[in-house]
Amino acid sequence: MITAFIILVIFAVLASAYAYGKGDGSLARGFAIARKTFIGIAPLLLVAFIMAGFIQVVIPPELIRSWLGQESGLKGILIGSIGGALLPGGPYVAFPIIASIFQAGAGMGTAVAFVAGWAMWGIANIPFELAMIGHRFMFLRLALVLIIPPAAGFMANLFF
Amino acid sequence: MKNTIIIMAGVTIILAAVGVIQQGPEVIVQGCMAGGAMLIRVVPLLIAALILAGMIQVVISRETINKWLGREAGIKGVILGGIAGALIPGGPYVFYPIAASFLLSGAEIGTVVAFVVAKNLWSLSRLPMEVALLGPRLTVIRFIATLIFPILVGVLGNAFFVKYGDRVRAQIREIQKADEES
Repeated sequence: MITAFIILVIFAVLASAYAYGKGDGSLARGFAIARKTFIGIAPLLLVAFIMAGFIQVVIPPELIRSWLGQESGLKGILIGSIGGALLPGGPYVAFPIIASIFQAGAGMGTAVAFVAGWAMWGIANIPFELAMIGHRFMFLRLALVLIIPPAAGFMANLFF
Repeated sequence: MKNTIIIMAGVTIILAAVGVIQQGPEVIVQGCMAGGAMLIRVVPLLIAALILAGMIQVVISRETINKWLGREAGIKGVILGGIAGALIPGGPYVFYPIAASFLLSGAEIGTVVAFVVAKNLWSLSRLPMEVALLGPRLTVIRFIATLIFPILVGVLGNAFFVKYGDRVRAQIREIQKADEES
């Protein structure tokens, strides 16, 4: 989190310095856009975080862990993709759970489908996607990534 | 904008109802607390991300975006979008405003889809954590099995959804302007 913040601040400072260097009011306009966006999305954002909080509280990780057990093969890939999609939270939450499922004996394809399902179909991203870029983008993205988790799991099983 | 809030509030209420039935009424407090705690933690990241997104819109000229990330850039734009996704750290509250700013600056829809998908599949800042928690073998196999997809979805997006991209842009403008109308 701290690393991410530092890197983002460096990017933001570089971009701001460049805007200042242009000397045509770009810096002020950039800040104005940032402020306007923040005010515009603030109510959405508030709802998004409460929704994300409820996703975290209502879908307990143990449920997904017990549900998966030792599935492997094609069934494991499909269940892994869906289980990954239902995992709440960021990598700090998701990876330990996936690790415990992998150590419990799930196949390589299942584990890869799990990571890809979390990354591609993850419900944790949806509130922010709706709030900041809208449902049109979300539907297009979901349609385009639909095949990825099972395909990645299948490839992992095939080659490894 | 209004509809989005209503839908999200509806889903939240359904989740809360399921939680109350399963675990009792204290879920309501827990859910709000979990969301609030997350919000407080990410506010600094969010502000840095929004400033970066704002500067991207004023600093990078339409010509530059067109040349590097726009339609004329073709597959080069998709690849650059993917690399940008791999480099940007932070969660969805960081990369979605940046993705929106790319689109408003004239980046092609496939490029921006590649950016978002690469953020989730190529993310460099996530790799150390993945290696630490899932082990190097699973991480490498996962990385190889998903390597091609950001480029693939970007190319597909540019091939079939360029018109739809204008509708996506219209919606982003609507979201960001909501405060002026109310």
